[in-house]
Amino acid sequence: MVARVFELLFKYRPLVFSRGDLVAASPIPLGAIIALGLVALALAGLAYRRANATLPPRVRVALFGLRAGVVAVLVFCLSGPALRLSTVVPQQNVLGILIDDSRSMGVADQDGQTRGATAAAAFAPDGALMRALSQRFRVRLFGFSSSVTRTDSVTGLTFEGRRTDLAEALSAARRELSTQPLAGLVVVSDGADNAGAALTEPLLALAADRIPVHTVGIGTERFEPDIELRRVALPPSVLQGSVVVAELSVQAPGFGGRTVPLVVEEEGKILSRTEVRLPAGREPAAVRAHFQVSEPGPRRVRFSIPAQEGELLAENNSVEALLTVEPRVERILYFEGEPRFEVKFLRRAVADDDRLEVVTLLRTAEDKFLRLGVTDSTELAAGFPRTRAELYRYRGLILGSIEASFFTHDQLQMLADFVGVRGGGLLVLGGRKALANGGWAQTPLGDVLPVVVDPAAADTTFFVEVAVRPAPLALDHPVLQLRSTAEASAARWDSLPALSLLSPVREVKPGANVLLTGNGPGGPYVVLATQRYGRGRAMTLAAQDSWMWQMDADIPLEDDTHEVFWRHLLRYLVSDVPRPLTARLSADRVEPGQAVTVTADVADSGYVQVNGAQVQATIVDPAGAEHEVPLRWTVRRDGEYEASWTPALSGLHELRVHAEQDGQVLGETVVHFHAGDLGAEYFGAALQEGTLRRIAEETGGRYYTPSTLRTLPEDVAFTESGATVVEYRDLWDMPVLLLALIGLLSGEWALRKRRGLA
Amino acid sequence: MLRTSVHSRMRPAVLVPMLSALLTGNGTGGGQEPAPQEQQPAQVIPPGRAFYFTRAVYTSYGRWRPSWAVDYPKADVQFLYALRRLTGLDAYELENPVALDDPELRRFPFLYAVEVGRMALTEAEVDGLRGYLLAGGFLVVDDFWGTREWENFESEMRRVLPERAIVELPQDHPLLNTFYGIDSIVQVPNVGNGMRGGPTWERDGYVPHLRAIFDDGGRLMVLISWNSDLGDAWEWAENPHYPLPYSNYAISLGVNLVLYGMSR
Repeated sequence: MVARVFELLFKYRPLVFSRGDLVAASPIPLGAIIALGLVALALAGLAYRRANATLPPRVRVALFGLRAGVVAVLVFCLSGPALRLSTVVPQQNVLGILIDDSRSMGVADQDGQTRGATAAAAFAPDGALMRALSQRFRVRLFGFSSSVTRTDSVTGLTFEGRRTDLAEALSAARRELSTQPLAGLVVVSDGADNAGAALTEPLLALAADRIPVHTVGIGTERFEPDIELRRVALPPSVLQGSVVVAELSVQAPGFGGRTVPLVVEEEGKILSRTEVRLPAGREPAAVRAHFQVSEPGPRRVRFSIPAQEGELLAENNSVEALLTVEPRVERILYFEGEPRFEVKFLRRAVADDDRLEVVTLLRTAEDKFLRLGVTDSTELAAGFPRTRAELYRYRGLILGSIEASFFTHDQLQMLADFVGVRGGGLLVLGGRKALANGGWAQTPLGDVLPVVVDPAAADTTFFVEVAVRPAPLALDHPVLQLRSTAEASAARWDSLPALSLLSPVREVKPGANVLLTGNGPGGPYVVLATQRYGRGRAMTLAAQDSWMWQMDADIPLEDDTHEVFWRHLLRYLVSDVPRPLTARLSADRVEPGQAVTVTADVADSGYVQVNGAQVQATIVDPAGAEHEVPLRWTVRRDGEYEASWTPALSGLHELRVHAEQDGQVLGETVVHFHAGDLGAEYFGAALQEGTLRRIAEETGGRYYTPSTLRTLPEDVAFTESGATVVEYRDLWDMPVLLLALIGLLSGEWALRKRRGLA
Repeated sequence: MLRTSVHSRMRPAVLVPMLSALLTGNGTGGGQEPAPQEQQPAQVIPPGRAFYFTRAVYTSYGRWRPSWAVDYPKADVQFLYALRRLTGLDAYELENPVALDDPELRRFPFLYAVEVGRMALTEAEVDGLRGYLLAGGFLVVDDFWGTREWENFESEMRRVLPERAIVELPQDHPLLNTFYGIDSIVQVPNVGNGMRGGPTWERDGYVPHLRAIFDDGGRLMVLISWNSDLGDAWEWAENPHYPLPYSNYAISLGVNLVLYGMSR
């Protein structure tokens, strides 16, 4: 509406003014016209000065001003104002039209019509728009998704592309038409780019060549009602039989507040089903799902929410992730400073877990140790490890009731390095000689622990029984999953018998997470806390008698709470512990043709990063063919090596990474990724108007919607690119000037009449 | 609501049933009436210790005093003295008798029972002991002799763990090397025979045995010292007339039993 009024008053649309330069096209020199105007102004001023001395000065100024306005309008008209425009030579230029051919164009959010159908109707070969464009340009039509293909007609598009790569589309079209006079590009899309490629570079290149890109946004930004599972966060690998907590980002405009099931499946087998409450509004919210995968190897896990009635798009209700289930055995060293029942029951709790091996060193008397679970007679024969190599063999370390003074200073530093440098998992238990009572406050390990060990809290007479309960928001933590559902776990936690503390822990370090709290006299207390420290993880379980969850008379004999708790706790303790060679991928699921980057961190047995290693990846594709890819040191970080590789086939790919130095093997590891249909087009499929506007603005183009496409043929004609001519468009006859003259003269006349001068 | 903790639990007074037995004539040669396992509030035990030497209080028959209380409490206290001195164990210094049908029994995963030849468990005691053992408790049985007493004990244990067999403890079992290396099983006589230099056996219990009941994981649930009296050796260990080899052996085996029971 505003544009229409503007065009009515100023003769042309705003775009014409924005594209043109204002010039004076009169044959009379501009200086002469201005001089004439000044003379006329002077005469007018003189006339009003003589006319009537009784007129108040402000009236005379007003009259003069009105007359000056008239003179100014006339001077402007006499100067022959015109817009100098660069316009295309008809049929001499090429116009590239790129139409999004991806699946998201199949979304029917255009009053029941698909986006693709809307685009096809707008750019139909016999339609008014294409006819108008064809009169001015030689039109070249492209379909684009992950790649760009020429097409003769929009009817040839299938809207089946599995990915949208706007950057590649713009670059490819520019390359394709680089030998021809290119007037501009028109991109018809919903803007839902999912290739992740930066647009900056192609846009800068187009802007440098003065090739305007006009964008046509098709689709709706308010994409509802719809449920979309956007992102799933999973650990890359888990120990076989561990509880996995997946965090998903869900968006559900139009379904906010509804409770729906979140189903986790693996090859058709349902692993878990959790009731989740959908978030209100358009903001995504995190939901969690717990499940266990028993089969080892790479597993494709699918998360889904059943399609709801009236939902706009059902394909974005599910998302997949690749999870590697490791069948390895994790060795954990449990060092206990005094005989106590925690040793017996902790060992029993995990005895049936064939993925955990708790090697126990129990100090039974001064300088006398009992070794349990050792592999041979030499293991721990000299007591607690004295060298890093000996300690770093274990992936987890449990310190029981042992005083800090038992260790040498070097051993204390070694304990801290076990977490910070080696990346091991450390669990410190409460006990008579633990924490503050054990003198741990001023030691290197005191920094590592997630809790504040207050030396002033040392009190050998302290004893308190506490009801142990999950901390706020911690119930979803994998360690606390006592039962298969969150509700059952919560109920079990609420009914567990009390445990006792021999040292009060009330404060955690910044960044630490409290998982369990203890409510009792003088409380609340921190019972279980965890934090990342360096490359590893440190935890504190302040209770000294978790075995009461096994032995208490209120615990039924068939109850497995104690076993489940310890298995989860120890599995979590060692869940992210690195090996000397670790490898990670930029994505665990890609489309064929999409590059995947493998990054390896290489260290020696002492976990010191190695830069001069030979690192090689052997990629086994789904057909069984092996591809050798060398990894190169990135220079960015010590011990970091990287390589990229592009899969051609769909299916599971195995990457075996091998590192060696001077003929000595540093390590070997295996990672997996899956190449296939990601269904990425159905995620984030709402119209991305901002992206399309940015493309237009940064290249000098305009953003259109299907309803504003009418002016596209003329707008595209104003370009500095391709074969153009200079065109002048007169402005002296703009209606607004005539209206201004009439208004000024009428005003002057009315004022004069009122003052008796007329 | 927190359950009653260990420090508020009361110990039974042993003299009360003894006196009661004397007054009622329910003595050694009496009939088959179960002796009452009377308890009354006595003293508070401190909380938070790593170990309480816990004696099983159970119903028995046919003596002027209850069988469970034989050598009590001196044997317990003397053994605790040795245990504390020899190991780094934070053990409560005094005796801790607990009835088999007391829910608090589960708070003490090590249990010592004597003179089980006259054991006559009530149903509540059977249930209590069964639950205790299946939950992970460890029972050490001592000081009963001969075939008749064995048969009584065996029949009682069949009530407690009918699905479990009693087997001979292998000579190479880790229990025998948990703290001290024990090469052979010694018959420890009662204090009278020991100090007099008399026979080491009683009745027809000529050969000492260490027998066991194992759980599904091959871990000891019950260790039975039959035809031997470890308790007397602990009780009289300080007596210069008591033969040192017996008390050495009994304390060594006792230490091993406690440390095994706390670690396996």
